[in-house]
Amino acid sequence: MKITFPHMGNVYIAAKFLMDGLGIDYVIPPLNSKRALEIGTLYSPEEICLPFKIMMGNYIESIEKGADTVILTGSCGPCRFGEYAELQMKILKKLGKNLDFIVFDLPSDIGFDELKRRIDKIALKSPKNKKEKVLALLDAYKIINLIDSLEAKAKYKAGYEKEKGECKRLLNECKKEVLKTNNPKEAISILKEYHRRIDNLKIDKSKNPIKVAIIGEIYTIIEPFSNLYIEDKLMDMGVSTKRTLSPSWWVYNTVLLSPLKLTARKIRKSAKEYLPIGIGGHGQECVGEAILSYKEGFDGAIQIFPLGCMPEIVSKSILPSISKDKDFPILSLVVDEMTGEAGYQTRIEAFIDLLERRRRYVLSRS
Amino acid sequence: MYYLGVDVGSVSTDIVVIDENYNVIESIYLRTKGRPIKAIQEGFKRLEGKFKNSDILGVGTTGSGRHIAAFLIGADIVKNEITSHAVAALSLDKDVRTIIEIGGQDSKIITLENGMITDFAMNTVCAAGTGSFLDRQAERLEIPIEEFGDYALKSKNPVRIAGRCAVFAESDMIHKQQLGFAVEDIIKGLCEALVRNYLNNVAKGKEIKSKVFFQGGVAANKGMKKAFEEALGMEVIVPKHYNMMGAIGAAILAAERKEKRTNFKGFEVADINYATASFECKGCSNLCEVAVIKCEEKVIGYFGDRCGRYSGKVAV
Repeated sequence: MKITFPHMGNVYIAAKFLMDGLGIDYVIPPLNSKRALEIGTLYSPEEICLPFKIMMGNYIESIEKGADTVILTGSCGPCRFGEYAELQMKILKKLGKNLDFIVFDLPSDIGFDELKRRIDKIALKSPKNKKEKVLALLDAYKIINLIDSLEAKAKYKAGYEKEKGECKRLLNECKKEVLKTNNPKEAISILKEYHRRIDNLKIDKSKNPIKVAIIGEIYTIIEPFSNLYIEDKLMDMGVSTKRTLSPSWWVYNTVLLSPLKLTARKIRKSAKEYLPIGIGGHGQECVGEAILSYKEGFDGAIQIFPLGCMPEIVSKSILPSISKDKDFPILSLVVDEMTGEAGYQTRIEAFIDLLERRRRYVLSRS
Repeated sequence: MYYLGVDVGSVSTDIVVIDENYNVIESIYLRTKGRPIKAIQEGFKRLEGKFKNSDILGVGTTGSGRHIAAFLIGADIVKNEITSHAVAALSLDKDVRTIIEIGGQDSKIITLENGMITDFAMNTVCAAGTGSFLDRQAERLEIPIEEFGDYALKSKNPVRIAGRCAVFAESDMIHKQQLGFAVEDIIKGLCEALVRNYLNNVAKGKEIKSKVFFQGGVAANKGMKKAFEEALGMEVIVPKHYNMMGAIGAAILAAERKEKRTNFKGFEVADINYATASFECKGCSNLCEVAVIKCEEKVIGYFGDRCGRYSGKVAV
């Protein structure tokens, strides 16, 4: 058995060390690229959302490297992600790729016995004992939290850095360094070291940079390739960004909190005035985060979602009301395989300009 | 003392020279024809005799080719089209609330309040109604594009044209022609369809308040102006330098700078032989298409590499 998994931001780092810890063979698909997208687009239904296409590309590129089993999280929620696994299995089968899909759904959807059966499919392949397996899982959880929080720090500090590009350099260096080892414990110490380095980074506290919250559909905001590296672009522009949704946020809220029905309580509560019920995907979170980022004193928010995303279309039509009521600029960006970079860049630049000029205007008034 | 503004768009390259009171002293309108460097050089050749390098105190670039233009001529400020257009309109009238801008391949709406941009949008999925499409239709009907608008004004009974998509609009026009409708009625119908398309797509959900400015190359078309006025029920103002507003905005932004030193490389840029080439970088899975600009066989700059490996502008 050779396991693979689709990309989504930093997930591959944690997944790699989980497999290392379990002693299971795996393939990390090549980082998302035009090639992955082209292959994926070729074999996907045209109207399906962008993440599906990129994931298909990931599978096929992994199969080329010998993968025979895909692990994926499922969802029976009212969004097309729910049909991803089924559809992808069917398409790959038609292509003659004999692949085993192991889909992790919530026990409330598939029952505990089925979930255990699926987990065992992997766990029984591991030569490690029970205690070691649990430790491997805990280490992976630690790793995803460490890398996500490191990234969050780097993206926030980017607006304050004294030497331009320092945060980005540290972050990219860390991602390269950590992949050099196969030992989860060593990975944790590398990540901790980079945390120290970023904490000690000299910053200019007098800078008061433009602060933007990145909100919207979870995959397209987490996976930088899918949003044409918007956070990197903003870092280069000296903008501080915050993105609440991350793989670690997802694990905490979906795996740990959802059985207790406590998922994203604060965000959902904030959304209540505008969108009182969950509409699938992370539509309600998007609305809630727009409000929270306004309350937290951000200058604006950028919503990103793939063309045809149902929950985000609902939130997109709510955001202008929030924008008007709170006098809080929000830019919506739609991405798919046709997105042209020039127009996209222009929109982001114009939006940041708008925020800067707004601030100057408010300052000159007071 | 003058400031230079350069707007490198998909269809046209505009160069303006303004004085410190933002009066337009010189304006040059050139077709880009996919070769922005050539267009800029041609423009500079015309300016070379009229101005001294030391007359220019600041340079701003805008438009989709703003980065390459900035690199070539040594710009002090590089701004997106939206800000530039708004700045230019505001310099004419502080009370402008809505800017309709339709250029060669894109259309935008900018809404303003108290002299500040509050919202904007650009066409996302379709370029029907932009300059290139009108150009093509004028060509097909064998009417010079300059007279296109006058034809529309002559119409008494505009024909309804399906304007959702450029290709379907064209087939619908052909169909109406074959049915024998008068050319002016078809042209007027086309203008109305394109205005409808603009208001339903680009301007969707945006409140259009007076005063409305209409800028960009398409503003030359009187038929489009009239159709906008009829659809909106308010006056639409076409500024004198409607097709130069981006360049004017860039020049004003260059003049507004606090710093007084300029990076301007001089009008001699016109006489240097530039060559461009491109290659696919194999450094990682992104496979960026990197453009190389060479000057007399010497590489002077790189564009398009995401990580900055060649252009060196950002951290790897």
